[in-house]
Amino acid sequence: MNLISQILHLMTTAGLWQLTLTVGALLLLPALGGVISERSGVTNIAMEGMMLTGAFVSIVADLAWHNPWLSTLLAIFCGGLMATIHAVISIRFRADQIIAGFAINIFAAGVTTYLDDKFYNYNGAGHVNQANMLPFIRVPVLDKIPFFGQVLFEQNIIVYVAILLLVVTQFALFRTKLGLRVRAVGEHPQAADTAGINVYALRYGAVITSGLLSGLGGAFLAIGIENTFNPNMTNGRGYIALAAMIFGKWTPIGSFIACLIFGLGYALFANNSSISASPFLLNMLPYVFTLIVLAGLVGRSTPPAADGIPYEPGVE
Amino acid sequence: MAAPSAPTERWKPPLPPALVERTKQAGKALGMPLGSVVLSFLVGAVIVLVTGGNPITAYQGLLCGGVGVLCSGSTYSSYTGAYQISEMLVFLCPLVLTGLSVAIAFRAGLFNIGAEGQLIVGAIATTFVGVHLQQLPSEILLPLVLIAGALAGAVWGGIVGVLKALTGAHEVVTTIMLNYIALFFLTYLIVGGPMQEKGISSSSDAISAKARLPKLVPAHHLFFGEPGGIYRVHAGIFVALAAAVVFAFIMKRTSLGYEIRAVGQSQRGARYAGISVNRTIIKTMLIAGAFGGLAGAIQIAGVRYQLTDIYTPDTTGFDAIAVSLLGQNSGIGVVLSGILFAGLDVGRNVMQSGANVSKNLADILQALILFSIAANFLRSLKLRLPSLRNVRGSQSQVEPGVAAVATDIAPGATVDASASGGSPGE
Repeated sequence: MNLISQILHLMTTAGLWQLTLTVGALLLLPALGGVISERSGVTNIAMEGMMLTGAFVSIVADLAWHNPWLSTLLAIFCGGLMATIHAVISIRFRADQIIAGFAINIFAAGVTTYLDDKFYNYNGAGHVNQANMLPFIRVPVLDKIPFFGQVLFEQNIIVYVAILLLVVTQFALFRTKLGLRVRAVGEHPQAADTAGINVYALRYGAVITSGLLSGLGGAFLAIGIENTFNPNMTNGRGYIALAAMIFGKWTPIGSFIACLIFGLGYALFANNSSISASPFLLNMLPYVFTLIVLAGLVGRSTPPAADGIPYEPGVE
Repeated sequence: MAAPSAPTERWKPPLPPALVERTKQAGKALGMPLGSVVLSFLVGAVIVLVTGGNPITAYQGLLCGGVGVLCSGSTYSSYTGAYQISEMLVFLCPLVLTGLSVAIAFRAGLFNIGAEGQLIVGAIATTFVGVHLQQLPSEILLPLVLIAGALAGAVWGGIVGVLKALTGAHEVVTTIMLNYIALFFLTYLIVGGPMQEKGISSSSDAISAKARLPKLVPAHHLFFGEPGGIYRVHAGIFVALAAAVVFAFIMKRTSLGYEIRAVGQSQRGARYAGISVNRTIIKTMLIAGAFGGLAGAIQIAGVRYQLTDIYTPDTTGFDAIAVSLLGQNSGIGVVLSGILFAGLDVGRNVMQSGANVSKNLADILQALILFSIAANFLRSLKLRLPSLRNVRGSQSQVEPGVAAVATDIAPGATVDASASGGSPGE
């Protein structure tokens, strides 16, 4: 069929896979945050809001300072601040974590657009100078490899950072004492507490880490890809990261594979001019695919046993 | 004056105990949400103050724009209370219906983020029937378009229920996926797809005039000094209120409602009681989807009359979650909190133009209300107050030491420390 051959032809172009990796890495950052947070037993659907906060802060800071590095640091910090609110409400006040996370998302959307109106007098933030964006890096020599050179070694610096963080998270969660403790706290906090592990400290740490990662993702989106801030510019990416995390069965590697699938869907959509089908139907594909996979192929995905349950000492 | 009133005060007609009990219950049920709203508006006022606005003018704008009161003074005198109320009621219809969709799922322990998707497919089905079955008489066509919307929504919600029951797929993820699928499907239909109006991008044909819900204000009469045609309030408000009654009836008076509540309380407990958890989950999501679909149907049949691509920035299905939570997942609660949120939706623009405070303050308020309900700050405040008093009493001797430490750190802090040291003496 014509359509299938067009898609297959598109699949042989390096540009498609290059974009797939970029978008996959963008989704990976909040997804890793979600994995860490939920492995410690705190359900986190607030990546959307924390990412949006990072995006807004990085643009404001970059417009003022003309320094993408400092702006990214501040975005990471503010993502962490948002996560702290989620942590306090979920851990200290033992709130329903889904509602708290959802409130964070509305709060972030409200605060960023409120301040956007305030700072730029209802005119929108505008664009940062091209020179002040997070740099695009061509790895010398390696980028000369045909096909793979363009896909793997011509990327924004944050893509490399994200891959590095993926390796670090996978290793830390499953090969270190700290990772074992985080998982213990998420599976059976009572037992972990009895063994002398500080449940609260680990959960605060994990939730705040998810905010730092999502903040970085937001900065990547705003000053690495889009070059501006729009109200609600994350546009559900935090929720997609959440889906990727569940899809990937709460593991960093699995989440990354899911992120790449969503990335591929987006890349196909972005290249729709060479496909004779409605771009909107193409855009729908990754979501339909996820639904089908969730329904049958993955099997029952089991979250960490204590995920979403506030810890109260002495209550079994 | 005081003498004649004394005996009447002494003799009180005994109130029926059931009524007393009910009033107490109502007070309890209202206390937490109302307290959360007040707390959030106080914090919101601080935010406005800190960012250089006037909270009184801002909140007057919200009240005038949202519920049509206090439209006075030079800033707001150009707004008509009746028109603002009419607009609020227009926003209220979909909020109540999607709120009920979220609420019934919450009752069964499911988190339905998918009301938005259900609303969209409801709108699609309503438009499809309203455009293609023009030859039917109004008495059949109007109910038919509403039923079509509700059915489409039920299918969309039912998918979530079936997946949850059969494969355990988490409803948060499946509803998010279905929201996107509905949105992109709608865009496909009206941008280059089969439902696009000829020659006009991104909208569909208009539905037949016979498929439209009647307006409540006749168009050619003056109403509160304005021509009746500008009032958009339509008969859908009765559908929304009736749905809330149906919701309350299902939950309180039917065995299905009992099963839903049992599953929501404890799936294991429900299973021991002989309730099929899977079947209840599917039924719940079918009903939830029908409410959501009806919301989309009413928007088409009452306000928009055609599909457009307004749904990209639309957040009704998400606001519905706040509406449901604030309304404690009850029928009457959803209507009352729906009025608050519909008022915020309409009032925010009036506030922005009148008080020059960004309309996004409404989102912040909404989030603060959710925080307050989720964390139940009020309860924590109540729990902490007595202990604070104890601490103050016992610390009265320690106070000078604290003040001394404070002086060491920052000289400016002495004033605060001595002020708080003085208060327990009262």
